[in-house]
Amino acid sequence: MKKKIGLLLVIVVALVLTFVPLGQTNTQSAQAADNSLEKIQKKGVLVMGTSPDYPPYEFQATVNGKSAIVGMDVYIGQQVAKDLGVKLKVKSMSFDSLLVALQTGKIDMIISGMNPTPARRKNVSFTKAYYQGGYDIVINKTDKNKYKNKDSFGGGTLGAQTGTTQYNAAKNQTKNTSVKGMTSQSDLILALQSHKIDGVAMEKPSAEAYVANNKQLAAIPAGFSMSSSATKSAIAFRKGSTSLVNKVNKTVDKIKKENLVKKEYLPKAGKYLKTNTVNTSMFHYWKAFLTGIEYTLIITVCSVFFGFIIGILLALARMAKGNIFKNLLRWISTAYVEFIRGTPMMVQVMFVYFGLGIFVNLPALTSGIIAISLNSGAYVAEYIRGGINSVNIGQTEAARSLGMSNGETMRYVVLPQALKNIWPSLGNEFITLIKDSSIVSIIGVTELIYQSNIVRSDTYRGVAPIVVIMVLYFILTFTASRILNHFERKMQHD
Amino acid sequence: MTKPVIEVSALAKSFGDNHVLKDITEKVEPGQVIVVIGPSGGGKSTFIRCLNLLETPTSGKVAFEGQDLTTLDQKSVNKLREKMGMVFQGFNLFPNMTVLENIKLAPMKVKHVDDATATKRAHELLQRVGLDDHADAFPTSLSGGQAQRVAIARALAMDPKVMLFDEPTSALDPEMVGEVLNIMQELAKEGMTMVVVTHEMGFAKSVGDRIWFMADGYIQENNTPEQFFAHPETDRAKDFLSKILM
Ligand SMILES: Nc1ncnc2c1ncn2[C@@H]1O[C@H](COP(=O)(O)OP(=O)(O)O)[C@@H](O)[C@H]1O
Ligand SMILES: [Mg+2]
Repeated sequence: MKKKIGLLLVIVVALVLTFVPLGQTNTQSAQAADNSLEKIQKKGVLVMGTSPDYPPYEFQATVNGKSAIVGMDVYIGQQVAKDLGVKLKVKSMSFDSLLVALQTGKIDMIISGMNPTPARRKNVSFTKAYYQGGYDIVINKTDKNKYKNKDSFGGGTLGAQTGTTQYNAAKNQTKNTSVKGMTSQSDLILALQSHKIDGVAMEKPSAEAYVANNKQLAAIPAGFSMSSSATKSAIAFRKGSTSLVNKVNKTVDKIKKENLVKKEYLPKAGKYLKTNTVNTSMFHYWKAFLTGIEYTLIITVCSVFFGFIIGILLALARMAKGNIFKNLLRWISTAYVEFIRGTPMMVQVMFVYFGLGIFVNLPALTSGIIAISLNSGAYVAEYIRGGINSVNIGQTEAARSLGMSNGETMRYVVLPQALKNIWPSLGNEFITLIKDSSIVSIIGVTELIYQSNIVRSDTYRGVAPIVVIMVLYFILTFTASRILNHFERKMQHD
Repeated sequence: MTKPVIEVSALAKSFGDNHVLKDITEKVEPGQVIVVIGPSGGGKSTFIRCLNLLETPTSGKVAFEGQDLTTLDQKSVNKLREKMGMVFQGFNLFPNMTVLENIKLAPMKVKHVDDATATKRAHELLQRVGLDDHADAFPTSLSGGQAQRVAIARALAMDPKVMLFDEPTSALDPEMVGEVLNIMQELAKEGMTMVVVTHEMGFAKSVGDRIWFMADGYIQENNTPEQFFAHPETDRAKDFLSKILM
C-alpha cells in the first residue's frame, strides 16, 4: 500500500498545527455530537480524495473522449455514495496531501489504496478493509531465471516508491541488497529497464498491470512477511465520524461478501487500463497536455498580474518613511519580503492551501494562484524598489517643483521610468513563473507537470511524457521571451 | 507698497554638522530679478531650493505672498509650488515623454486642464522658446540648449508668479548659453519675478535688479549690479570678483 509520509506532509502538518486551538475545537465538537452521517446526507455530496497515479486502484483514463479518474477505488466510492443516498465527487491530489486535506475539510473521505496503519489511525477513522493485497517484484523478463523472491537480490539493487510500505519492507527484510527509493512508479520501471536497478517492489495489482502492458517485464512474488493490516486497503474518514464509518462498513461488508472487487471492479478498471495503454503515443494524450498548458498559463498570467500589483504596493511600503505608521508599514513589508524569499515556494503553496483552508475553503487553483502571487510579489517588490532607486532624483524634484504630489510624482514620472528600467527583470520573473508554477501540481492543480505525471502512470512510459513537456515548456518560455523582447525593443525606441 | 513675493527671515539650513545656511533675511519684490552669485559650495543651490521647500529649512521662515511655507501641510505646499517655477542645472526633463507631453503633464494632472487646452498652451510656449517644431521629439534627441528651453517652457506652463533658476546654463556648451539667457532676458522684460543663481556675470549686470552675493552661509552683500561690480564692499566679494574673469 502507499504509505508516503513525506517530509512535505510533516512540514504542512507543522504549519497547520499553528492553528491547533481551532483544529481542536473542531474535532472536539465532532466527537461530542457525532452528526457526521447526517451532515453528509444533508449536504448531498460526498467528496472523495484520491491520488490517481496508481492503476488499477485509481488512475486517469479517457472515458468517452474525456479525461476521467477511474479504478477500483472509484467504483468503491460510487457504491459508498449510492448506499448513503448522495452524489460522489472525486477530487484528485497528491498522496502526501490526502490526510491533511481530510483533516482540513477539503475532502470527506479518502479512498486511495491507503492502508490503516496505527500511525494513521491516530488522526483519522478507518472503515474495515475492503481489499487485501500483496506484493510482487517486477523484473526484466531476461532475468526470470535469476530471481525467485526478495532474497535473490543479494549484491544487487531493489527499487521502491519512497515512503511506501514496500520500500520499508525491502529495506528491512533483505540482506546485502541496496534499496533505491524514487517518487514515481514509472521512474522506477524506467530505471529497471535501463538496468540501474534489478527489481521493483510494488503491489500485486500494479505489478500485474505493468507486466500486462510491457512484454519485457515479468513479476515474481516478493515474499515479504507482513502483518495483514499492512497489505489492506481501507476508507478513511475524519476522526470521530463513528456514525458515518458504521454506515459505510455495511457497504464494505457487502462488497466483500459479494467479492465485488475481484468480480466487478478490477475487471472494469482493467478495461480502461487496456484501452488506455493500447495507444500510448503521446499524440493520443494531446488533450491532457493541452489542459496542462492551459492551467500553467492561467496560473502564470494571474500570478504575474497579482504579483505585480502586490510588488508595487510592497515596494512603496518599503520606501515609506516618516511617522510611526509609515515606519511600521516599512518594517512589516520588509519582514514580509525577507520571509517569503527565505522560505520555499512549495511550502508556501501548501500553507495557503491547507493552512488558510482551515478558515476559508479555497479551491486548489485559487490557492495556487494566491500563493504564487504572494511569492512573486516579494521578488517583484525588490525589482521595483531597485528600479525606483535607479531613477534620477532630479526627476522627482522636477515633478515636485511643478506642484505634483508625492503620489502623482510616483505614478506619472518615477514608476513609468522605473518599470522601463526593470522590464527585463520583470520579463525574467514571468518566464521563471511559467516554470515554477509547476509547484502547484502537489496540491492537484492540473498544470503541465501534473498532467505529464498522469500520462506517465497511464502509459507506463517514463521518458516520452517528460520529453513532451520539456518541449512544451520550452515553446512557452521561448515564445514568452520573444514577445517580451519585442516590447523591450519597442520601449527602447521611445 | 506692494507686498513682497518672497520673504525669507532668519533662514538656516544644516546637513548634520554642516551649517550651510546660517542666517538669511531677504525679500524679493514683484517684478524683481534677483541674481544670486557666490563661490561654489557656498549654499546657493541649498538656498534657492529652500524657497520652494525642495529642501526643508532647519529653522527660520520662508514666506510666499505672505504665507509661511514652513508651517503649511504638504497639500498646501504642493499648491504653492505651482506658483513657483523651477529650472535646474540638469534640465530634468522626463525622458519617457515627448517635449509636448513634458509640458502638458503638470497642467493636466495637477490643474486638471483638459487635453485640448493644455496642448494649445504647450504649443504657444514652445513657439515662445522657438522649439515648436520639436514638439513630438523625445528629450534625448535635443541639444542641451534646446532641453533647457523646453524645461523653461514646462515651468511656465503652470503660470507661475515667480521663476527660480539654479545655474541654468552651467551644463551647456558655450555656444548654447546665449539662447537660454535670451529667453530668460525676455521673461524678465515681460515682468516675471525671478531668482537666478548663475555664474554669467554679463547676464547679472544687464538683467539683474539686485545682486545677492552669497558665501559662508550668509548673503554677504545685497546691492545693485552697478554698485556691486564697481564697488564690492566685503573682502569676500572682492576676492570672488578678482578670481572670475570678466
Ligand atoms: N542633500 C545634502 N546632504 C548633505 N550635504 C549637502 C546636501 N546638499 C548640499 N550639501 C552641502 O551643502 C553645501 C552647499 O552646497 P550647495 O548649496 O550645493 O552650494 P552651491 O550651490 O553654492 O555650490 C555643500 O557643502 C554641500 O556638500
Ligand atoms: Mg549649486
